[in-house]
Amino acid sequence: MLSSLIGKQMKMLLRNKQPLIILLVMPVVLITILSTALASVMNNEEEMAIQARLVLVDESSWEQEEASIRSFLAKQGLNGPALDGVINEFKRNDPIYILENSILVSEDVSNYIVLEKKQTVVLKEMRKDKEIDGILTIPSNFRSNYIKSAYFEDNQTPELELLLSQENEIRASIIQSIIDSWQTGYTKSLALSKAGIAPSVVIQSNQAVEKIEQVLEEGERKIPASMYYTVGMLVMFALYTPAFLSGFALQEVQWKVYDRLILAGIPATLYACSIFLTGTAVAVIQQAILLLFGRFVLGIDWIGLDAMLVIVLSYSLFVGGLSAFLTTIQLRTKSEGASTVFTGFVVSVFSFLGGSFFNIGDVSSLLANIGNFTPNGATMTAILSIQKGRELEVIWSHLPVLYAWLGLCVLLAIILFPKRGVTS
Amino acid sequence: MLQAINLHKKYKSKEVVRHINMRLATGESVGLLGPNGAGKSTTISMLSSLIMPTSGEVIWDEQSINKNPEALRKVLGVVPQEIALYPELSAKENLHFFGRIYGLKGKLLAKRTEEVLQKIGLTDRQNDIVKTFSGGMKRRLNIGAALLHKPSILIMDEPTVGIDPQSRAYILDTVKQLVEEGMTLLYTSHYMEEVELLCDKIYIMDQGEIIAYGTKEALKSLVSDNQTIELQAHLLSSEFEEVLQNKFPTATIRKVEQTLSISLPKNEEPLATIFALAASNDITITSAVIKIPSLEDVFLHLTGRALRD
Repeated sequence: MLSSLIGKQMKMLLRNKQPLIILLVMPVVLITILSTALASVMNNEEEMAIQARLVLVDESSWEQEEASIRSFLAKQGLNGPALDGVINEFKRNDPIYILENSILVSEDVSNYIVLEKKQTVVLKEMRKDKEIDGILTIPSNFRSNYIKSAYFEDNQTPELELLLSQENEIRASIIQSIIDSWQTGYTKSLALSKAGIAPSVVIQSNQAVEKIEQVLEEGERKIPASMYYTVGMLVMFALYTPAFLSGFALQEVQWKVYDRLILAGIPATLYACSIFLTGTAVAVIQQAILLLFGRFVLGIDWIGLDAMLVIVLSYSLFVGGLSAFLTTIQLRTKSEGASTVFTGFVVSVFSFLGGSFFNIGDVSSLLANIGNFTPNGATMTAILSIQKGRELEVIWSHLPVLYAWLGLCVLLAIILFPKRGVTS
Repeated sequence: MLQAINLHKKYKSKEVVRHINMRLATGESVGLLGPNGAGKSTTISMLSSLIMPTSGEVIWDEQSINKNPEALRKVLGVVPQEIALYPELSAKENLHFFGRIYGLKGKLLAKRTEEVLQKIGLTDRQNDIVKTFSGGMKRRLNIGAALLHKPSILIMDEPTVGIDPQSRAYILDTVKQLVEEGMTLLYTSHYMEEVELLCDKIYIMDQGEIIAYGTKEALKSLVSDNQTIELQAHLLSSEFEEVLQNKFPTATIRKVEQTLSISLPKNEEPLATIFALAASNDITITSAVIKIPSLEDVFLHLTGRALRD
């Protein structure tokens, strides 16, 4: 019985051009247009979004340390041109100079790290600043320790102090990877020096960039415009399914087919249940088609498929519940008013707040927070979080929103659905 | 037996149907005649358990339908005035769907679908989408959808509205056949000739009330016990009028232009006498029409308005 009702509703959807155009053709067209037109804007935004802020506190300075280095070298028996030669060699390979003036300001690295140089800071104050992702402190005797260690096998290895923020692991990892790469570079220089080979600048900025990209791959992926709009349109256009199903239900009442169903002994609850299941099934199919379109036409690499399945099914269940609720309202009022208001107003507002058109968080964090309480907004945020490479757990904070909406729709449908019939 | 006892239906403050008492015995074909807006559709919606009466009761097989509609619904087929079909589905898909919701499946469903398609004459169009059908074909399929589960009572609400005479004749033949096969029928229409053709007993409704009921003959006798003969002839004269009046002293005779209207009791058979008198008076009768009261006349007599007003 239930399968007959669902099969019939599916046939009605498939044999009408309008639902097919709105549920499938329109999102495909919009995804293609928006992801092409806004690709450059969105992709730049995404790069900016993962920039880490590093404060470099350089307590050392060549001027400050030169005298003690010269004195140390003199004690080691170096004088005159030999001493000047070592000093010049060291100046050329000064790791702090290379870090500050070559690595961190290179075009590739500056895409990921914003550098702020300071002579002295109150660490306690700096740590409170949540915008800062890392503080690298270079101690006042770093260069002299480096020379001692590099050229005279002194046991005093040069040490640095790197404090990383716990606020954003990805940005902290970017800083860590740059510093690691730099440290590896000057350690190699030390090794070369000790082996009697003239040290050269081993630290390459492109090595650091490779490291950053590794970090990003392991952590937060970039969300390209094609992915953003595929998800945005997917959650938005799924909201049209309830409007079509409730419209068909109203037609059934107007054509008196609904009376035939009631006379055949179909309970009103079974009918409402069939609308719920049809809505869910259509939403699953629609979302699957759009995700496959993204995969095979736009080349999107969807990751976290288990989490995606959970969120897509949950959203589909909500769409089913909304279909039953909207049908209830239309059968109660015997007019298309509810559907018209829903598609004309509610879908637009929800899509705007949910971020289907653009990232609402760029405009207002308050609106973005409100958007995360809309079912489509919660779904979109959850899917994009999964696509950034976050753990499955990230979706649990969004699912309660979806299930609260689903529960509300189903509860209202159960209470309000006309039980005997709707003939007047 | 399906029985309506003092049914009333009120929408807000407007009472659309009142004091409806009807009886529909097994195998009987009953007509519900009335103009548009008389309350026929509301009455049959209450009788078929689709809407609850504001007061009164519908009884089927000694059970109250108000409390237990399922008992009636199993044996009831309803043909609504609207085309209650899915236009996007084919004729066969529609019948399959309605068959399934009545619990038919497998071979039985296929057999019943085939039988119904044959009965309504749509076997060769069974795979065509309903929205491509003519009005008459849709009406036939509308009837077919109500017959799949072999109901013993059929309620038809204006099943021939807006169709061509050929389709109408086909539908009337089909319904007549169903009645002959023993189907209990409640047929509502504002076409009196359909009701006269199909029904043994007739209820006449107007403005939400049943204003008369009985057999066709009994209802017609409400109008008059007379018959009227209208004669058209060459050279009609006042002498001939006098001859006729002398022959039929109880008759009322009036002459309007070349037509002579003779009203006299139904039990007399005057035509042969009239023709003989005309011949002996050298008058050639060109036409003679015996007018017996119709249900239209009955409605006019009861309400002062024509049925299709």
